[in-house]
Amino acid sequence: MNSLGTEYTKEYTTFIGLEIHIQLLTATKVFCDCAVGFGDEPNTHICPICLGYPGVLPALNESALFQAYQVATALKCELSPATVFERKNYFYPDMPKNYQISQYQHPIGINGTIEFPYRNEVRSIRIHDVHLEEDAGKMIHAGDISLIDYNRAGTPLLEIVTEPDLTSGDETEAFIHYFRRFVRYLEVCDGNMEEGSLRCDANISLNEPGRGLGTKVEVKNLNSSRFVRLALNHERERQAKLLAEGSSIQQETRLWNENRDITVVMRRKEESHDYRYFPEPDLPPFRPTPDYLKTVESSLEELPLSRMNRFRGEYGLEDDAVAFLTEEKSRADFFETTAAIYAEEIKSDETRGMEIYRWLSGDVLRHLNRSHTSLENSNLTPRRLAGLISLINSGRIHGKIAKKILHGVFEEDKDPEQLLEEKGLEQITDPERVREMVQRVISEDPAAAAQAAAGEEKVLGYFMGLIMKLSGGRVDPRISRDILQEEILKEKEKE
Amino acid sequence: MDTRELYTTASLAQLSLTETEAEKLSREVSRMLDYFARMREIDVDSLEPTTHTFSKVNRLRKDVKENGERLSHMADSLLDNAPELEDRFIVIPNVL
Amino acid sequence: MFRSTEKYWKSVLESQEKIEKYAADVRQIDRRIGAFIEFDPHRALPAPAEGNPLNGIPVAVKDNIAVEGFRLSCGSKMLSEVASPYTATAVQKLQEAGVWIVGKTNLDEFGMGSSTDNSALQRTHNPWDTSRVAGGSSGGSAAAVAAGLVPAALGSDTGGSIRQPASFCGMYGLKPTYGSISRFGLVAYASSLEGIGIISDSLSLTRSLFETMRAEDRHDQTSLLLQGESTPVRTIGVLSHPEGLSPAVDRAYRRTIDELKNLGYTIKEVELPTLDYVIPAYYTIASAEASANLARYAGVRYGHQNSLAEDPQELMETSRDQGFGAEVKLRILLGTYVLRSGFQEQYYIRAQKIRTALRRDFEEVFQSVDALLSPTFPVQAFPHDSSDLDQFQQKLADRFTATANLAGIPALAFPVGFEEGLPAGMQLMAPMHGEERLFEVCQKYQEVCTPIHPDRAASRPHAKEERSTP
Repeated sequence: MNSLGTEYTKEYTTFIGLEIHIQLLTATKVFCDCAVGFGDEPNTHICPICLGYPGVLPALNESALFQAYQVATALKCELSPATVFERKNYFYPDMPKNYQISQYQHPIGINGTIEFPYRNEVRSIRIHDVHLEEDAGKMIHAGDISLIDYNRAGTPLLEIVTEPDLTSGDETEAFIHYFRRFVRYLEVCDGNMEEGSLRCDANISLNEPGRGLGTKVEVKNLNSSRFVRLALNHERERQAKLLAEGSSIQQETRLWNENRDITVVMRRKEESHDYRYFPEPDLPPFRPTPDYLKTVESSLEELPLSRMNRFRGEYGLEDDAVAFLTEEKSRADFFETTAAIYAEEIKSDETRGMEIYRWLSGDVLRHLNRSHTSLENSNLTPRRLAGLISLINSGRIHGKIAKKILHGVFEEDKDPEQLLEEKGLEQITDPERVREMVQRVISEDPAAAAQAAAGEEKVLGYFMGLIMKLSGGRVDPRISRDILQEEILKEKEKE
Repeated sequence: MDTRELYTTASLAQLSLTETEAEKLSREVSRMLDYFARMREIDVDSLEPTTHTFSKVNRLRKDVKENGERLSHMADSLLDNAPELEDRFIVIPNVL
Repeated sequence: MFRSTEKYWKSVLESQEKIEKYAADVRQIDRRIGAFIEFDPHRALPAPAEGNPLNGIPVAVKDNIAVEGFRLSCGSKMLSEVASPYTATAVQKLQEAGVWIVGKTNLDEFGMGSSTDNSALQRTHNPWDTSRVAGGSSGGSAAAVAAGLVPAALGSDTGGSIRQPASFCGMYGLKPTYGSISRFGLVAYASSLEGIGIISDSLSLTRSLFETMRAEDRHDQTSLLLQGESTPVRTIGVLSHPEGLSPAVDRAYRRTIDELKNLGYTIKEVELPTLDYVIPAYYTIASAEASANLARYAGVRYGHQNSLAEDPQELMETSRDQGFGAEVKLRILLGTYVLRSGFQEQYYIRAQKIRTALRRDFEEVFQSVDALLSPTFPVQAFPHDSSDLDQFQQKLADRFTATANLAGIPALAFPVGFEEGLPAGMQLMAPMHGEERLFEVCQKYQEVCTPIHPDRAASRPHAKEERSTP
């Protein structure tokens, strides 16, 4: 990193804005019936419409539109009374029609806001607009030819443009992380930057404080949130250094080069793009009715930030726990269902939030990682987790046995109660039985007993281990320790 | 319209023109544009442009792959019309 | 119902011999006319469907409308080898009703022209006088019907492309209300202006085909099925001083007005103040939309490709230069220009405002009249390569027909007899979804004049000089 620039960045205000594209989770493409997918054989999900054949017309997908309204509403945008599609005209081999159906003057929503947590604060970013458009095909360059696959052409894309309210690479990275969770919570996008279902271009400018925006530089080729942070931090330093030297910033487009950790000017000749936008005659404007908007609103999932705040209050969870549990909506849902089942069926007043958290972030997570499954696809259900915790709290099993039972749930797809019975894992708490076992292990090793009587703590541990083994791991460790100490005392008194 | 403007326009329209073509088209486009100038004679400033012939009805398509929808099952015959193919990819020369 | 020759048309399918005889007759006549680009009566034989009134009726389709199994050349070198993998919705509906699609007809390249001489593939002649054009851009369809090769043909009408050739050939030509017939499968030229329509020698067949094709199509979100209203027509409006008419057309126009009076209609002079601005507005909008609609033809996914190109831009630019004719290039350049940043406001947006003004004119006019009569075109069929009417002047001559396209209203061209040995035709316009009014008046007008074919006229040596009687 160019450390010479770092000292200058503090002298300037940084303005960062993002253009985010998300691929919506629909079954079919935005203007035709072809399936939306990823990674299939090239040019299999195509039809005359998405291939731009002569005579075809676009037909707007109602689910894509609905998801667009969900996002615009969740971002608190002003919604257009009539949203209009427009043709954005430019030639490129991956564009089937050599125009993209997009939006321009009357997008779905404008002037919204989004809040996200950053370094113990809640930051607010303004949204310029949300608009719906179609994706292009994919080109692969192979020497002196290019190969084009149109499977992706026509996939619904939602573009979210922010105002330049972000101020650093680190903050922008955090924003993207949050935005990814945001769209996953809304269930409109899977937020996968590696696969390209969430893409991001940035605009950055620096200026002396109080002087407004500076000269904007566009930064592209940001394929991960990490690159966003590195690229924008680099750009800040680069621009700050130039400004401090008295040079001016060129308005240009730069690409992030991940091998050299710098941004470089795009080599392509900068043609001024005159997109000649005009309203798409093949698609009538859409006028959302009050009923439609009500349906959109009532369909909205609780947003991540709200959910985090609620978890803190309602379940008394610490920040680490809140962050972990709300990372994915599916995990948060699992947590709440588990807590609800526990509260209702076990009828306990104590919230088991932290306990559920510990299981989910500990053994459960380990199991899932080892077997490469997701929580939703595993054999663990909220009911089963609640059942397991209830067995512990009722004293029927202790920690180590619980782990065994959890393993059994994953491997054998059975309920904890069932496993407890089948494997005879019920904790032994009857003092008589415990005393029997304690006396047995003591009598089998009098030498060690003598050492224990003499006060050697380690030997106690050794006996504990033997008792545990003898009981098949089922003895209640607290009771066995108490009784062991009693018996050792008796040994001592014998002398 | 001078030839420079014409070439800019032709470039936006991705049309390569020979010199003879450019000269001829330049004249013809100019003639049309001069004729279009008469649109200034009528006062329409207070009117909204007609962007859509009919625009009163919301039209939406269900997000379901239609059963028996032939259009989505003809990928192979579409590729038959492609000038150059390689393993189902459409091929064009690369920018060097 | 249909004319007496309906019996003949339906009988062709009765046997293999009759089909072969029909095919041979068509090929022989068409050698003189050049109406068909592709004629193959065997490719889409309909299944017999007893009781279906349209079953077995042969219909030709303009070659910018997709029919699976036939090529979709659009009269252009760009697409001359492309086979259409799908069928236009409107054609599908006809085929479901048992209609027999026998071939694809010639047109001005991509629908751009008023003569069909802009076709890059072949020339079509007017069956009434083969030294003259059949009109455009649906010249092939009009010629096929006039020559007696088919009783009806589909065309497309963006600024008059069905009505003008219909009138040049003495036939009916219906341009329906915008959106009443699906545009899915019609190769787009000017999306907000155009639609599929019908040319025929039979008014009842025209109506029947129209009723069969009209529908709301899920593939065309601008298509709209509204109940046609059936207000009886009592008053017909006429333009007080239509300018620029040839003496022949002027005579025919005045005569038609008198005939309508005699049939009992009240005639009222009306004004369309925006009429003078129709052509610049129409061509601004049409070229603008065309420049975008034709951008897809770039030699990448189908169609003509310059295989010697060494980079993608060269590939697209040269394929387009090689594949498109001069008139198409002109309109693409014009259309690109009027959308350019800095020019869009004064051209494209202004033109769309003029469109609004014209629609208001019509709203007002139709308050006091039930239908509006005008000439279809200022002159009758002109000679091939006529120096009197270059491409620019042909455009100006679209002013009567393009009016209906800008307003989205239906219009029907109908034959009114002959002047100077050539067919003369007028057009009638009605408010949106007012096709019934058009059929009603033209039905009544059949008391005065019905279409005839050149071969039948030829058998009566003086027929061209007189008006035909039923």
